[in-house]
Amino acid sequence: MKIKNISSAAKRFWVLLFVVVQMGCTEFLTEVAPSNLTPESFYTIPDHAEAAIASVYADLRHMGNGAGIFSANWQLLEAMTGTSTTETAQNSDLNNLYGLVHDGFTIHIRNYYIGLYRVIAQANQVIEKVPAITPMDAAQKKRILGEAQFLRASAYFTAVQLWGDIPLISKPQTASSEDFNPSRASVESVYKLIVDDLVAAEAAGLPWMDASGRVGSAAIKAQLAKVYLTMAGFPLKKGASHYKLAADKAFEVITYANSNPSVINLFTTYYDVHRESTKNKLEHLFMIQYNTSVAGNPMGNFFPNFKPVTFNGPGGTGSSVPTSAFYKSYEAGDLRAKNQEGYFYTSYFTNGNGAPFELGAPYVFKHFNQTANGFAGVAGSRNDNLNVPQIRYAEVLLIYAEAQNEVGGPTQAAYDALKRIRDRAQLTTPALGTFNANSFRELVWKERWHELCFEQITWFDMVRLRKAFNENTKGFDEFVGHTNLSSNQKLQQKHLLLPLPVPEMQNNPNLKPQNPGY
Amino acid sequence: MQTKSYPKMTAILVACLLSLGWMTTAIGQTVKGKVTDEKGEALIGVNIIVKETSKGTTTDLDGMYSIEVAGANSVLSFTYLGYESKDVVVNNQTVINVTLSPDSKVLSEVVVIGYGTQRKSDLTGSVSSVKENDLLERPSPSLNQALAGRMAGVQVNNNSGRPGGRTTVRVRGFSSINSSNNPLYVVDGVMLPQGTQNQFSNAIDYINPNDIVSVEVLKDASSTAIYGARGANGVILITTRKGKAGEGTVSYNVDMSVNTTGPNKPDVLNAAEYVAVEDLAWRNMEKYDPTGWKAGKWAYLDPKLRRIDPRVWNADGSPKFDTDWFEESTQASLSQNHNLGFNGGNERTQYAFSMGYRDDQGLIKTTYMKRYSGRFTIDDQIKPWLKVGGTLSYNNQAERLSDVNDAVSRQIVEDFPFLPVKYEDGTYANNRDFPFAEGTFSSVHRLYGRQFILNTQTTLGSFYANIKLAKGLEFKSVAGVNIQTQENNQSQTRTLAIANRGEASVSNRKETFWSLENYLTYNKSINKIHNINALLGVSWQQTDVFGISGNSRTFATDYFGFNNLGAAGVIGGVGSDAAQFSFNSYFGRVNYSLKNKYLVTVTGRSDGSSKFGANEKFAFFPSGALAWRVSEEDFLKGNSVISNLKVRTSYGLTGNSEIPAYSSLSLLSSNYATVIGDTRVSGTGISRLANPNLQWEKTAQTDIGVELGLFNNRLNLELDYYYRLTTDMLLDAPVPSSSGYTTIRRNVGSMENQGIEFTVNATIVDKDKFQWTSFFNISANRNKVLTLATPSDIFNVGGPNFTNPTNIIRIGEPVGSFWGLTRLGIWSEAERAEAAKFTSYRNGLTILPGDIKYKDFNGDYAITDADRSIIGNGTPDFWGTLSNTVRFGNLDLTLDLQYSYGNEVMLMNLHPSEDRQALANSYSSVLNAWTPTNQNTMIAEVRDTRAGYVTNVDTWWIKDGSFLRGRNLLVGYNFPAETLSKLRLSKLRLYASAQNFFLIVSDKIIGDPEVTPTNQGGGNSAFSQGMIWHNYPKPTVLLIGAQVAF
Repeated sequence: MKIKNISSAAKRFWVLLFVVVQMGCTEFLTEVAPSNLTPESFYTIPDHAEAAIASVYADLRHMGNGAGIFSANWQLLEAMTGTSTTETAQNSDLNNLYGLVHDGFTIHIRNYYIGLYRVIAQANQVIEKVPAITPMDAAQKKRILGEAQFLRASAYFTAVQLWGDIPLISKPQTASSEDFNPSRASVESVYKLIVDDLVAAEAAGLPWMDASGRVGSAAIKAQLAKVYLTMAGFPLKKGASHYKLAADKAFEVITYANSNPSVINLFTTYYDVHRESTKNKLEHLFMIQYNTSVAGNPMGNFFPNFKPVTFNGPGGTGSSVPTSAFYKSYEAGDLRAKNQEGYFYTSYFTNGNGAPFELGAPYVFKHFNQTANGFAGVAGSRNDNLNVPQIRYAEVLLIYAEAQNEVGGPTQAAYDALKRIRDRAQLTTPALGTFNANSFRELVWKERWHELCFEQITWFDMVRLRKAFNENTKGFDEFVGHTNLSSNQKLQQKHLLLPLPVPEMQNNPNLKPQNPGY
Repeated sequence: MQTKSYPKMTAILVACLLSLGWMTTAIGQTVKGKVTDEKGEALIGVNIIVKETSKGTTTDLDGMYSIEVAGANSVLSFTYLGYESKDVVVNNQTVINVTLSPDSKVLSEVVVIGYGTQRKSDLTGSVSSVKENDLLERPSPSLNQALAGRMAGVQVNNNSGRPGGRTTVRVRGFSSINSSNNPLYVVDGVMLPQGTQNQFSNAIDYINPNDIVSVEVLKDASSTAIYGARGANGVILITTRKGKAGEGTVSYNVDMSVNTTGPNKPDVLNAAEYVAVEDLAWRNMEKYDPTGWKAGKWAYLDPKLRRIDPRVWNADGSPKFDTDWFEESTQASLSQNHNLGFNGGNERTQYAFSMGYRDDQGLIKTTYMKRYSGRFTIDDQIKPWLKVGGTLSYNNQAERLSDVNDAVSRQIVEDFPFLPVKYEDGTYANNRDFPFAEGTFSSVHRLYGRQFILNTQTTLGSFYANIKLAKGLEFKSVAGVNIQTQENNQSQTRTLAIANRGEASVSNRKETFWSLENYLTYNKSINKIHNINALLGVSWQQTDVFGISGNSRTFATDYFGFNNLGAAGVIGGVGSDAAQFSFNSYFGRVNYSLKNKYLVTVTGRSDGSSKFGANEKFAFFPSGALAWRVSEEDFLKGNSVISNLKVRTSYGLTGNSEIPAYSSLSLLSSNYATVIGDTRVSGTGISRLANPNLQWEKTAQTDIGVELGLFNNRLNLELDYYYRLTTDMLLDAPVPSSSGYTTIRRNVGSMENQGIEFTVNATIVDKDKFQWTSFFNISANRNKVLTLATPSDIFNVGGPNFTNPTNIIRIGEPVGSFWGLTRLGIWSEAERAEAAKFTSYRNGLTILPGDIKYKDFNGDYAITDADRSIIGNGTPDFWGTLSNTVRFGNLDLTLDLQYSYGNEVMLMNLHPSEDRQALANSYSSVLNAWTPTNQNTMIAEVRDTRAGYVTNVDTWWIKDGSFLRGRNLLVGYNFPAETLSKLRLSKLRLYASAQNFFLIVSDKIIGDPEVTPTNQGGGNSAFSQGMIWHNYPKPTVLLIGAQVAF
């Protein structure tokens, strides 16, 4: 009787077990991520388009991300120019850039490559997904697509100047995408996409300036002018046709500025160039946006090494500091070289607002935020909300001056553009008649070096011109053979292009060959 | 059903017999007697139960007992820990003297295996086990610390000296790169979360080790395959204390301890030495930057101009103070640990109840770990065919950490010795007060100004029902739950968080796990020749994780700490996240033994996990094992030398599924943020590439083992060889970043581990009043990466990432090998011209005699990545323990030595404290720096860093970390029976112990070679072993304790 009883219990358990087992399989292992969206569940309403374009803007900050100890990615574009050196040898990748012995492993090079393609991928996502959103206000849609095209073009523009032939990706990727393992596309084809994108963006109906920090059409036109100017030079050497395009495009901006001087203009003081209250205004046509609610200004490696110039005391690294040769290359009386009034400082206030002290050397003031760090007698806000400038009106004037000169020698308009830059620096400029095309060209170049220094522009000038400013002769050397005074190393042919990141080549067998010399 | 059930019948029958007995005056028959061991010594506290009743007693101090029985048919059951139980039928005896014989320990020892128990002699797999007595010998705040060195093949590294410690446990090496290498912990049948938790802790760290009575580590595939997809890193089975039938016992264990400065404390410059080094450093700037010097660039660094603060310097420029920051930052505070236990029950019901309180005061001031724990367990034979039981435990652990980053331990070394701790006005003195020094805050300032509190509550419960379905057939259902909530509260004062004027953050993470496991076991013996033991089961498990966090900054006062985020000027970010994952599994096992000599085990588990691609949810993990008990063969039976000989082998497949949930899905991230109009705007963008084919990581393991017992098992040897091949590694494999993505979670790559484990247990002397037992083990493991997703090396694993990469994962090499330059020495005067040929690796300035000389592998006169190579590895060649216990009468002494050979350490502290000067204090090794008259040294010439210095991960930072550690020296005294009886106690033991009381290291290093950096690289901390980067110093612990029971 006992066994019978129990075996019937056993039967019940077997049945129960069977039922439970059957129940288990179906739903139990299905996965839905509660804290993340999937592409299938997104891009359906206009707000999604706004969120998508915000991610593209967000990824622009890659240039400020860290590249190992005491270094940020943007130092890639400063270290190789020879205009700056370092007060700390702690970051061996940065040392290698200063010494021009960088290679396909150098972290800054790898990070820039990844960062640029990340921006491109985010923009591709917008350009691919937003058109299908309905209903959506047509103007809003056009605007967002225009912004995405500008940002994609700008990322490709940087990449093509750094590496030459590069993968050209214009669609969102999955692991099964055809171009997931892309080959290198020609420089020409990359520039075609850049120009197409910018031309499309130009027609997106964006306002000339947007004080919120979104891209405006002044920035798009300026960028297009810059692209044409670059195409005119090395390596494409399009010459006159593109100098003309560059000059015309720049002149569109100048024309607008001349008739709207309160919208686009040069700042009256250099202080306004690095002032929180002038962000995205007047001279700043486009900037990478920073606010400590998201991220603080990333240019801290310009601070001197452990000298107490901010509220934060002796916190700086000095990993990018001007060479004294470059500082001394400014003309006598150039306001830009004047302590705390121009782009440099040689003394400051202890802990930002205390007793003044001598720094013993010039440091970069262009990215110094006095509102945050403090100045004479006024304590800093401690929140460095300064943006990083990308395109200033000053550059537009210089693009015009340079391009117009190449089209037909120095004209009055070209001269005026150049003179505005020099006037602000309180420099006298010889009369137009004293210039020929050559002397005007070199003066424009020199102004580019002196006006646009430490804004990650100089390296691209060196590459497109194949020239380098000689701080001692105040003239221009050929790129190959020029000695960078920061490290006494000579620039070589191979330095015109960066090496492709080696891990990238290992991960993608189609990415070949490596750039020559590496 | 018509018929009455058997138990009721029995009860009636018993009642009848009882009443009959009472009428015939047979009731009250009292049986007396003495219980002795095989030598005739009285055994105290032996449990005696009248079977089938709730009656029980224990023997007294003379081994005597007295108990009433119902009658002649009654059966007395004698049980005593460590002895074989004995049942005696009363018949008509009134005096029953019993001699219990000891368990022939090793052989009849029962070990816990997955979903059951097995006699050790019947094991076919490789299982190591540690019993309660061994755990008691080494009082430890966490189980892992107590396990260190106990078992061959189980490498437990105790990596921090902070209260609560920090351990890593590797069973037979590494199996994985991107998923967890942690073993699976199973407490009373309930699995704990396997991944690494906050501050590199494990779920097991939050359980009171005093509640644990045995630990089994399943190592080979035959024993772990029953845990299928989570068995690849080994399985640690934990059994907690259960109630015992018989007279109740009350036990109280207490220990008090003090942490004192341990071996190899940092040796730094004192004030006078520092001043001299700084003077020299400034003067040498002329040599290292002649141009700058001539231009007057360094005039401002003239020490005379810097040493002017009257709070710190005398008028003549000499320092007023000579502070020993190590002394100022450390304490020798009393820690205490109390455990109170109640235990009782009868034949039917047993219970145990315990409470614990632990207060560990760290060696570094302000750090502590406090744990309150409570636990209740009950088992009830509710019906002859039904047994139910359950355990519920709750632990509340509060920790204050100072080693959450390197700041404090590093600062102890770098704080200027010429500074006071506080100025006269009561404010903290900091290095940043000294002109042009590094802008740091002092160690003591940080200790008191920064809070990092981790509050962890763990509720662990299980309930089981065990049903006898038929003879030999049982059904068991176990429901388990583990709820862990962890708060992490932080704040920094206004004087530390200068930029934010004070900051605070709180976060809370709740992880809820439940499991339901049902299984049938079947035991059948046929003619005592064939023995079959079979298991069949099904399991469901689910984990829910939910986290919230918030932070704010800018406070008007430090008063609130993290207790009032709303009082801040700036309310910062908030966040929340959620995840869920589940398992559904089917498992089975058959053990078959033929004539008790030939043993076979076959195991299989089919595991389904939500984390994997839709078509790859399920996977099957089989294993098989064979064993031959050679000593049971006729030709060995009764052999006077060989008392036990077993050979065994196993092969099987296990898995690893410890990756984040949703890894196979294509995901967007909504955590992008940009600034529009100076306002934060959130964005949604790309995040993860989909991989619908994502599946399990598999480890195939082969094991061959021999167990040998000699001289009646007084000498036991166990040897295992294993080979583990991990394939389909779950790897964040690199993809072309032209896609916008950098990685995809894929099953690629493979890795092998092979090794040997050898254990010796010996009873060297076994006399009446003198016993000496010895335990020795040695393990060796060799790891090699066989394939990766692409040929590209993987960097940024391990290490605090403040230099160029420190570790590399490369095909053909052990995972996480150290990576760097080769330091040949210092350039000599004779090599001036050669040095100058190098592209500068020193601030663009010419390389000079006195600068570090690296090997230029490719001869291009530039020191680049091409000159880096593998320069070491943190994993030892072999390691183990030698433990000896000696008993003289009631006195016992245990000496526990731990050794490790061939493990390299990377002494990253040399970067700030030897490679650069005049920014902070340095190690006194800089007194042996290069000078024109001391050219034969490895330390570069002293100079202010601003004149250009050289620092790189290089071979000089790599030291031989082989060590011998005095892990534990314990002296105990058990009070004799006579004393106990006067005190009315059943047990009183007093003991004293010194832990980590000496350390011999092959190379001179600073700190402890058994270490991982505090701020190691993210999820890849697995490869940080042996990297010294300013760790919480490991103390020497002095402890006294008592164990009382009545």
